[in-house]
Amino acid sequence: MSSVNGAVPTTIIVAGLALAGYALLMTALNRRMGLGLLVALGVLEILLLVLVGMVVARLVGGGHPAGLATLIGYLVATPLVPLVAGVWGAMERSRWGPAVIAVAGLVAAVLMVRLHEIWPVIHV
Amino acid sequence: MSEPAASPKSAAPQQESTRTGPGRLLVAVYGLFALSASARAGVQIATKFSHAPVAYVLSAFAGLVYILATVTLGNGSPTARRIAVVSCSVEFAGVLAVGTWSLVDPATFPDATVWSGYGSGYGFVPLVLPVFGLLWLRYWSKRSRAQRTTASSAGDTDEAPVDQRTP
Repeated sequence: MSSVNGAVPTTIIVAGLALAGYALLMTALNRRMGLGLLVALGVLEILLLVLVGMVVARLVGGGHPAGLATLIGYLVATPLVPLVAGVWGAMERSRWGPAVIAVAGLVAAVLMVRLHEIWPVIHV
Repeated sequence: MSEPAASPKSAAPQQESTRTGPGRLLVAVYGLFALSASARAGVQIATKFSHAPVAYVLSAFAGLVYILATVTLGNGSPTARRIAVVSCSVEFAGVLAVGTWSLVDPATFPDATVWSGYGSGYGFVPLVLPVFGLLWLRYWSKRSRAQRTTASSAGDTDEAPVDQRTP
């Protein structure tokens, strides 16, 4: 059985953790949301959309994960993480806005591990 | 690219409440758990309820508590804060009780809940989250009490004398 290329999930984990580190640094330095964090969040969003596209292509191509309902739920929720965090964080005009972005980065990384557990053809 | 400094002067005026400042982070994490716990419980109850009924019902209950805490912390009115204190307390009691129960009697939990092993499957976030929630709510109840006292003695509500920075 062919698998989903592991390079994208691995990149997302690295990018998510890097974003979390960057955002936590901004919180520690008492900075509020700015362009840098929004651009980084946008990069993460694009990577997540690419991954969702790849997994959907794999499903359409005849993949049969055990927990299909759960997988679809994850595929819907995953691209929403940076969007919701971006809106919620941008509403905050203090150091706690970047802290919200840090959570989104960590969640993106954890989601890759969870996706692999749900459907092992998604390599990490 | 550097981010702008969070100076109160340059920032747009923002009505402070339990959802601003550290509360912004708290509501985000509560929302995350509200979504994940209730969605997971929903799938489990719909597809394999008989496999671990106790675990799934407890997951669903946890999901409801998280939803209630998210909504009330996000609202921030005095009534919402009182409900939030109750839901955070129930949540803390729940994670301690279910955590202990899952260790003493693992047979009841063939499948994990959010609160199994004191939330060990979720990096113990479920254990520390209600503590931060209750501390945040206590800060707000003190703050609003201080504001009420000043308002009644000085009759000036425009400038709250309490520290605008959060702890």
